Amino acid sequence: MRHFISAWKIGGHSLRENYKNKFFSLFIIFAGVLIYASLLAGVMAVDEEARMLTDTGLALMELMTLAYSVLAAASAITREIETKTIYLVFSRPVSRPAYLAGKAGGLYAAAALMLGVMALLHLSLIYSRGFTPPPFYLKAVFFIWCKILMISSVTLFVSLFTTSTFSAVSIAGILWILGHFTSEAKFLIARSSGAAALALSAGAYLTPNFQLFNARDLGAAAPPPAAPGFLAAYLLVWMAAPYLFSLALFRKKEF
Amino acid sequence: MKKYAYLLLPAAAASALALSGPPAFLAASHPFPPPDRIREVGRSASGDALALSLGFRRLAADVWFIRLMQYYGAPPEMDGSSGPEPEFGGGTYPDFLPIARHILALDPYFTNAGLYASASLAFNLSRPAEAVSLLNEALLYHPREWRYVTLLAAIGYSKASDPAKVARLIMPLIMEPDCPVMLRQLAAFLNKKAGNYRAASLIYKTILETTRDQFYIDNARKELARLEGMQR
Amino acid sequence: MSAEKIVSFSDVYKTYRRPGLLRTFEAPALDGLSLELERGEIAGLLGLNGAGKTTIMKLMTGLLFPDAGSISVFGLPPSGMAAKNRIGFLPELPYFHPSATASEALAYYAGLSGLNGPAARARIDAVIGKVGLLPHAGKRVSEFSKGMMQRLGVAQAVVHDPELLILDEPVSGLDPLAIHEIRDLISEFNGAGKTVFLSSHSISELEKLSGRVFIMVKGRLAKTIARAQWESTPGGLEEIFVGTVRAAA
Repeated sequence: MRHFISAWKIGGHSLRENYKNKFFSLFIIFAGVLIYASLLAGVMAVDEEARMLTDTGLALMELMTLAYSVLAAASAITREIETKTIYLVFSRPVSRPAYLAGKAGGLYAAAALMLGVMALLHLSLIYSRGFTPPPFYLKAVFFIWCKILMISSVTLFVSLFTTSTFSAVSIAGILWILGHFTSEAKFLIARSSGAAALALSAGAYLTPNFQLFNARDLGAAAPPPAAPGFLAAYLLVWMAAPYLFSLALFRKKEF
Repeated sequence: MKKYAYLLLPAAAASALALSGPPAFLAASHPFPPPDRIREVGRSASGDALALSLGFRRLAADVWFIRLMQYYGAPPEMDGSSGPEPEFGGGTYPDFLPIARHILALDPYFTNAGLYASASLAFNLSRPAEAVSLLNEALLYHPREWRYVTLLAAIGYSKASDPAKVARLIMPLIMEPDCPVMLRQLAAFLNKKAGNYRAASLIYKTILETTRDQFYIDNARKELARLEGMQR
Repeated sequence: MSAEKIVSFSDVYKTYRRPGLLRTFEAPALDGLSLELERGEIAGLLGLNGAGKTTIMKLMTGLLFPDAGSISVFGLPPSGMAAKNRIGFLPELPYFHPSATASEALAYYAGLSGLNGPAARARIDAVIGKVGLLPHAGKRVSEFSKGMMQRLGVAQAVVHDPELLILDEPVSGLDPLAIHEIRDLISEFNGAGKTVFLSSHSISELEKLSGRVFIMVKGRLAKTIARAQWESTPGGLEEIFVGTVRAAA
């Protein structure tokens, strides 16, 4: 119970730290400006304006939340080590699992908050233009958050062994792109053979498959790529595994 | 052994990752065409790659749809022959089909784009064979899309020069709230050609209420005034 | 009857390792250190830069792990939760999240130390007042001067009423008034029966506060001096320190 309380407090502190961060507000404002600027693209789409506004807005929300979350995750722990605020935490009865869980939880909550505010801005634009959001809208926003959970977890783990925030962000960016290339990877594997096919397959299996959670792209008409139960389990694996790997690295880390 | 006990959980996590990877990759259906179906149009390769790498197929299809409308909205290419200006929506637009294919290869569920492009090809550009091939390709990935099937049937009947039948066939399409205005325009035209002026008027009024495309609004107003005169 | 030993270092070795391209760079920090702290005393730690003072404090608080030897704090491993419940640590140049107010920062660390609810609020307010930050409680830490930051550092170290206070350079960079106030605070804390272990470059501060001083030279405990010894030596603690360092060179 004590560990849970510590994790909760650290998570709350991490969330506060994030939303008080001026970059958090800047990212939201910037996204808001771009979302409203997409009015121009909507007008150019004439009768497909609703679709254009929806797709542009969702894409911008995802990119902004991704950029902020990856940066935040890459520096969440390293910044505390560099500024030595971590001394004030670990000189107290705070366990390392609780600390990691709290830090991750704070990042997840910050991403949810950012997405929520952006969604409100986006919906205000859609309604102001006389449209209603499409039926898959909430699902799309929720699944964007699921993708952010996965990439944040991985970035947090990567930040524990990379030499700089930049390298952690770069690795996260590469994984993000590879994770959306599922069908393309299948296509390549089908046309490869031998060691190349094996290497590609291994890489594809061990890369988080973000395409599964790309409800934003599937819309309402495309069939779901997998059963909800499988998606939930997959998401949990890709949150828990980086956490456990982080724990293995962090348990004996000295400050 | 106790020294390495802390590695048990991460090892279990690694196993879970390794076990979940293949089903997530192999068994999960990916409802989009493979990359070799996305043919380059203009210099679209880098943009397409960017769209695919960030999972922005829908957005890329939207952008290409705007490009298609701008392309179709520009004056048609002249093939060097002198002659009367092409009829409404007509002309030589050699890239129309490749761009339309490109849109559906990026997002095969962009039904309105498929309907718009096929109807334009079939009824305005008088290229029904291309329209049919586009619809058949679209149906590969969206076989349950009844609107494609309906339009295919309408194109078939248009070849038999039976405007009334085509108009009746596509009526369910134009009742859909997000039906492309171009199809409504076509339905109104066919009803007018078949002598169903009341039905044509109703459709033009629907166009006035639903579209934001000034070209179609102006045309609908013009046609409504003409039909009022005809009905007196 | 000898006082209870609450901290014990027994033949402790610590080397810092930094991986390089083809080899690992090693920097020995502690070389067979043995020392003990008694309950209720104020013990000082003196040494040149790189002598191992901060290393000792970090080992005591579980931030570092020894390569060899044993360390116990209240008879418990220092990295365990039970030991950490009973200590308060002020690192050198404490840093707090700039967007937090003093109250918020203190509430966070108090919460991590197990203080919750109205009792925590009362304790936080009392400690803020005690360190002289009451007029600045609602101010953001980013607006704090160095002295105010140091006071907040002391506040977070004592907010949970620990039995052992470990202070790394508590008066570093402070003005004389602030130094005086911190010194009073430490004395008051000790007067309530708490043990204080502090390091400082300021020999005069250690002379004023400590009952014993450990002199570290190149990772080894070169000398342990009681107050009576330096008070009876011409030149005081400074003379003994300089002589010890030169002898070890």
